[in-house]
Amino acid sequence: MSQLALILTINGERHEILTEPHRTLLDVLRTDLGLTGTKENCLEAECGVCTVLLDGEAVNACILLAAQCPGRDVLTIEGLACDGELHPLQRAFIDHGAVQCGYCIPGMILSAHAYLEAHPSPTDAGVRAALAGNLCRCTGYQKIAEAVLAVARDRAARE
Amino acid sequence: MSFEYHEPTSLAEAVDLGTRFGDDGRFLAGGTDLIIQMHRGKLRPGHVMSLHRVPGLDVIDANGAVRVGALVTHRALERFVGFQGRLRALVEGAEVVGGHQVRNVGTIGGNIVNASPAADVVPALLTLDASVTCLGPDGERTLPLEGFLVGPGRTARRPDELLTGVRFAGLAPHSATAFLKAGRRRAMEISVVCVAARLTLDAGGERCLEARLALGAVGPRTLRAHEAEGFLEHRTLTTETLREAGRLAAACCQPISDVRASARYRQLLVATLVPRVLARCVARVRELVS
Repeated sequence: MSQLALILTINGERHEILTEPHRTLLDVLRTDLGLTGTKENCLEAECGVCTVLLDGEAVNACILLAAQCPGRDVLTIEGLACDGELHPLQRAFIDHGAVQCGYCIPGMILSAHAYLEAHPSPTDAGVRAALAGNLCRCTGYQKIAEAVLAVARDRAARE
Repeated sequence: MSFEYHEPTSLAEAVDLGTRFGDDGRFLAGGTDLIIQMHRGKLRPGHVMSLHRVPGLDVIDANGAVRVGALVTHRALERFVGFQGRLRALVEGAEVVGGHQVRNVGTIGGNIVNASPAADVVPALLTLDASVTCLGPDGERTLPLEGFLVGPGRTARRPDELLTGVRFAGLAPHSATAFLKAGRRRAMEISVVCVAARLTLDAGGERCLEARLALGAVGPRTLRAHEAEGFLEHRTLTTETLREAGRLAAACCQPISDVRASARYRQLLVATLVPRVLARCVARVRELVS
């Protein structure tokens, strides 16, 4: 079996890894690099728990080969907090009680992050559409949408 | 799942690899279908050829005739400024594919080659009389999309050919497109039925000069409703003519019953959605003319 030498940029850090071509970005994140904040579930791009950002756009790490990622910036949930300070979305999810079992939350937050970067003045419908690829089986969508909208409001108020 | 991975950096190199590996090779575009099929063990290629380093395949060129490269993502279609007006059926089809994570990665070329009868962008392309270009060891072939789609997962593409893009003529004056989809929920849904239409009206906006109507998820491949199109052409479009077109379209499709819906329900949906999508086209022509 051939091995590929890949240089990946993950949360701003450069990683040199040696991997087989069939392994996904999710495999490499969780197993090789120990970044288990990105969750694993359906492995068919249905549930969204494996969502990470690739050059700022949300993608399902479960169906993306690691070999497709060199030269691109990967952001996982571990890269969102800065200097020990939670990202405003993380803080808002806590403050709004948006987290129940927590399994979907890393993906939810990264999808919301990509959406807010592109839509500084979001609507409730827009937030819900942006999170359609992230399933929450605790049915916590209401508070999740509220948390995302609150972050946008806070940002607008500060500017 | 184990395979050799290749990253050609030119079209010529990609075609060389495709020729060398034939049936044992697969081109990788977004991979949102291919990787899942490989995970399930339904496809076991010995060689995967990623197209990401081949330049020029992710471009939309809309100066005159429109050309959409095979690697253009659904997200790029959604955002393309030139498709927000009369060509909006392309946006309406692209924006209901999967979640945003899939649309950011999944490509139009992959969507066509995957040949799902429920593909959401394909109906709009059929109404535009689109052609696909395939590049193989013997050069380039251009085939009408309608004939290119053979059955579920099957196209006229040869194993050593690479689909490089899809093209269609710009719209005539007083023309517009529209797309509608029915699913059990509003997002993350494979179409129960989807329909797309293109209408060209006379200068008064009353009489139909040309009609195209395409139906998804109601047969082994995305279909054109030729009889309904013929009925609409040269007629004044009234509520009753639109309804009759819906009845004709429902009569021409051969849906199956499956987990998503019964065949009968799908036919009823066609009869309901066709008049709606046609009415949307008419409104769009009038709105963009005035």
